[in-house]
Amino acid sequence: MTLIDWLFKDAPLATRREITPKLGFVLTVLLALVWLIPFLWMGVATLRPASDGINLMAELMPSLKPTLDNIRDAWEIGDFPRYFLNTTIICTGILLVQFVTITLAGFAFARLEFAGKTLLFYLFLMQLMLVPVLLIVPNLRIVAQFGLYDTLTGVMMPFFASAFGTFLMRQAFEAIPTELEDAALIDGASLFQRIRHIYVPLSLPSFSAFAIISVTSHWNDFLWPLMVINSPDKRPLTVGLSVFTATAEGTQAWGTIAAGTLMVIAPLLITFLIFQKRFISSFVTSGIK
Amino acid sequence: MLFSRRLMLGLAVAGAMAGALAVPALAEGPTEIDLFFPVPVDGKLARDMGTLIKEFNETHPAIKATAVYTGSYDDTLIKTRAAIKAGKPPSAVIMSANFLLDMQIENELTNLDGLIAADGTTKEKFLGQFFPALQGNAVIDRSVYGVPFHNSTPLLYINADQAKEAGLDPNKPPQTWAELTDWAKKLTKREGDKVTRWGIAIPCAYDYCGWMMETLTMTNGGRYYNEEFGGEVYYDTPSMLGALTWWNDLVYKHKVHAPGATPGPAVSTSFISGNAAMMMLSTGSLTYVRDNAKFNYKVAFIPRNVRNAVPIGGASLIVPAGLEADKQKAAWTLIKWMTSPEKSAWWSRATGYFAPNMAAYKTPDMVDFLNKNPDAKTAVEQLDVAKPWFATYKTVPVRKTLEDEVMLVLNGKKQPKEALVAAQKAADETLKPYNAETSLKLP
Repeated sequence: MTLIDWLFKDAPLATRREITPKLGFVLTVLLALVWLIPFLWMGVATLRPASDGINLMAELMPSLKPTLDNIRDAWEIGDFPRYFLNTTIICTGILLVQFVTITLAGFAFARLEFAGKTLLFYLFLMQLMLVPVLLIVPNLRIVAQFGLYDTLTGVMMPFFASAFGTFLMRQAFEAIPTELEDAALIDGASLFQRIRHIYVPLSLPSFSAFAIISVTSHWNDFLWPLMVINSPDKRPLTVGLSVFTATAEGTQAWGTIAAGTLMVIAPLLITFLIFQKRFISSFVTSGIK
Repeated sequence: MLFSRRLMLGLAVAGAMAGALAVPALAEGPTEIDLFFPVPVDGKLARDMGTLIKEFNETHPAIKATAVYTGSYDDTLIKTRAAIKAGKPPSAVIMSANFLLDMQIENELTNLDGLIAADGTTKEKFLGQFFPALQGNAVIDRSVYGVPFHNSTPLLYINADQAKEAGLDPNKPPQTWAELTDWAKKLTKREGDKVTRWGIAIPCAYDYCGWMMETLTMTNGGRYYNEEFGGEVYYDTPSMLGALTWWNDLVYKHKVHAPGATPGPAVSTSFISGNAAMMMLSTGSLTYVRDNAKFNYKVAFIPRNVRNAVPIGGASLIVPAGLEADKQKAAWTLIKWMTSPEKSAWWSRATGYFAPNMAAYKTPDMVDFLNKNPDAKTAVEQLDVAKPWFATYKTVPVRKTLEDEVMLVLNGKKQPKEALVAAQKAADETLKPYNAETSLKLP
């Protein structure tokens, strides 16, 4: 129990003798382990030499003769540095435009009065119910009409406005007391100044929460970029990786797949580990500090 | 709303600028064409395809072809259709052979008769280069719509070492369902209640499952669909009921096949690792098995209950509708080059698919290869009993109605009869619009 005692040394006095928090802690550790297993396997499989054969592929015990062959194979099959660049451009491009659109739309729904506001807002929310696959053909047609077929801009375009983001910002802005805005109004601040100096700074946690969701979903998006992109040099990571995972006739090189997958998720994983504290706190703090 | 208008304007300008960058210069250069291709077997083939296209471009300076990787067979269909509807059709596509009818019904294909005639040859001569079994999926209403590129049939793979150890002769593989059931029973290893080795593995995931159901139904004397007309499938029939009941019995009565629906990669993995002594899988997996099996293996025809018959699989090259004449011509040049005996033979050796062009087997490299790897001959021999792959109006949704039900059966949630009745009903519903336009459109 000394370990447990040490872990709980910072806990409030009142709960230090209780059993429930300790149970919760043990449960959390177990959950974390379950969550870690695929990552561990991926690491182990990546370093496993092909000579180990398929029988050991599912083992979690690392090979005694680790090799970098799989990473080299995956690296050679795909032009990964370029895929990384493309995915990064797509994710940041979408996010930057989204920040502008969801801030303005969120503000309009939260604070402006106009005819048909509620109806319009519900129409906005209805977008969330649509299966993205339904929109492939109409979206592609519009993208082609804009002359953006086979361009990265074409991949980004349909996501410039986000129903989810608009909803999130509306909720965040509504939670901000109007007195703050009134004070700024008395000081003669214009509409944009009020948004910039009051609404945006106070809603930063919501922004970062949205950024996480936006980046992870577009980082992992496969079908839409596959539809828009033809040129091999404009492929994002997901499409590049699927070259050796989506085989039709049922044979797979697990080591190479593990290596490729590891390369694809590594940036997200590292970012998460660095900003872990901020991530978690952005989901739990309220808008008012 | 001023700022949003300004924003729209900004977006439009940005879009226009990006568009300007994306428009190719209209100089007198080579004809640029795109080839959409799925990766059928193994990721390294994406590189092989790149090599092939590079060689084509070097030998044909007037054409600049780009190979565009487009995911699985099903993804390739989605992307091709979306591109056609967006007015950006690719010049050529390696398309799953059983999607051609559906695309022709939707007017998405170029009829190749004209291009064949322009070469000064006849349809019969042109088609005569390919194995007869492959023609059913390439010809619709006596017109040519596709050129066979790489094709397969399902095979029975046997772990010869395990068979010997179980007292079976791998040189006399099972020829009937009864013999196969018997083999599977003898090859299944149990420790108490736990199975340590399955006698047989048959894949069931979207795409594969329908193909395996057609295989089993055909060897049971049946027909999966009406070969002459795209509006009928035969799910609720004695031949398919027998096929599904036998598969279900292998799982739940004889307990020689793992429960649940196993995707293709899991089937080949368990065979290679010795956890399944036999498997039914495409010839397309032959190269993978040859490279990875650490034991002696044998390949054999799919055993029969009523007759020997298998569907073909694989893909054909097609030209989408709505292309400019110069692109169409360039695509046709590429297609003829890719399906020539030498290239066919090279691709066949790289993948394990058989080469559709019969002359490919007369090339010296191929004769050598077959002498070294007699197992590659089995697939070609089985072509004598091969028939077309099911192709209907809306092939994929019609196929999925059956696959969903078969998965329920293999998972022990439904009995074969009720599953097939449900599949038939759902398929008929999907086929309804086409029948309303054809067979039920009465004067």
